[in-house]
Amino acid sequence: MGVLAAAAVEEGVVAVEADRFGLGWRPPLALEILSNLERIDVVEVIADDFFNASRSQRRALKTLAAQVPVTLHGVSLGLASSVAIDRRRLNLTARLCEEIRPLSWSEHLAFVRGGGIEIGHLAAPPRCDETIEGALKNLSLARTTVGVAPQVENIATLIDPPLSRYDEATWVSEIIRNSQSDLLLDLHNLHANATNFGFNPIDLISRIPPGRVRGIHLAGGKWVGKGDVRRVLDDHLHDVPDPVYALLEEIGARTEPGLTVILERDGDFPSIESLLNQVDRAREALARGRARALRREVAA
Amino acid sequence: MSAPIVEAFLARIYVDAQVRARFLSNPTAEALNAGLSHDEVEAVKQIDQVGLELFALSLERKRQRQCATRGRPNHFWRKRRA
Repeated sequence: MGVLAAAAVEEGVVAVEADRFGLGWRPPLALEILSNLERIDVVEVIADDFFNASRSQRRALKTLAAQVPVTLHGVSLGLASSVAIDRRRLNLTARLCEEIRPLSWSEHLAFVRGGGIEIGHLAAPPRCDETIEGALKNLSLARTTVGVAPQVENIATLIDPPLSRYDEATWVSEIIRNSQSDLLLDLHNLHANATNFGFNPIDLISRIPPGRVRGIHLAGGKWVGKGDVRRVLDDHLHDVPDPVYALLEEIGARTEPGLTVILERDGDFPSIESLLNQVDRAREALARGRARALRREVAA
Repeated sequence: MSAPIVEAFLARIYVDAQVRARFLSNPTAEALNAGLSHDEVEAVKQIDQVGLELFALSLERKRQRQCATRGRPNHFWRKRRA
């Protein structure tokens, strides 16, 4: 604990950590992000983009981290697998964390390879005891290698994972409860899965201890398929839909301040103003939820 | 469950169109051939076929996009200094 924080505790002062809002760092957005730092509290950098970066690129990343708080987000470890995670990628992640000292780092509850085959995307493993156990082992290794436990993100899936014993809420909450990793809750992934497989997204939210949700991802997607067999694809190419803001308000009503909320956009980029407006909508939605909780507390 | 074998099997049917087609036409044979147990074979016979096709299609499209952009140099940092 720092000297000021210790003094505050001594005097009974309660310091409230502020929520942070920001954007995923993507090269086509870089200049405009840097030009609008007064409206952005944090940027999220894809760790894998810098695994093979040149020395000058890594230096530039350190410069970025000196200008604005950065979180690191990995996409290829394959944490939620019965097979051990890739040590090379994990070591590269550890090196990056050491170099840029991010606010936090995160990875997905997904498997990304099997039997020597790279899937090329995040895939939902069978939701069973074996993958819970595998994820816990991998999370323990990740924590000891990097020195800090990763936040773990729920993923979107178009396919109901075969050979599953548990529903998503049970599977995710078991991993959170039995590890030291907090949840990076992707609300569009949750919205997509709830829509595609017919469950109430609040069920998952209510199964996670409120203090264990530390990050939020927002994104958009589109319908794929035809007729009765349509599903929501989380493609990060569209604006954040209204139900996702409603879920964010719900999160605001259930959690303590200190969340990091990131808008992810991977392509078909609109103007920076449009993206910043979505960040502002997120601020408003979370604030509405916080106000609801406060009113409830005052009334109680 | 032999989870590593199941994960390897799923990875194959997700990314390899020929294996997926063989599995959809004769799931028992393909799953047994991949080393799944009889219980696992019975379970994968109930696979979400709509989801399987849609996921495989999204993977294929993602690969195509990556092929289209592969090799495109990222000049962001250089541009910024200029």
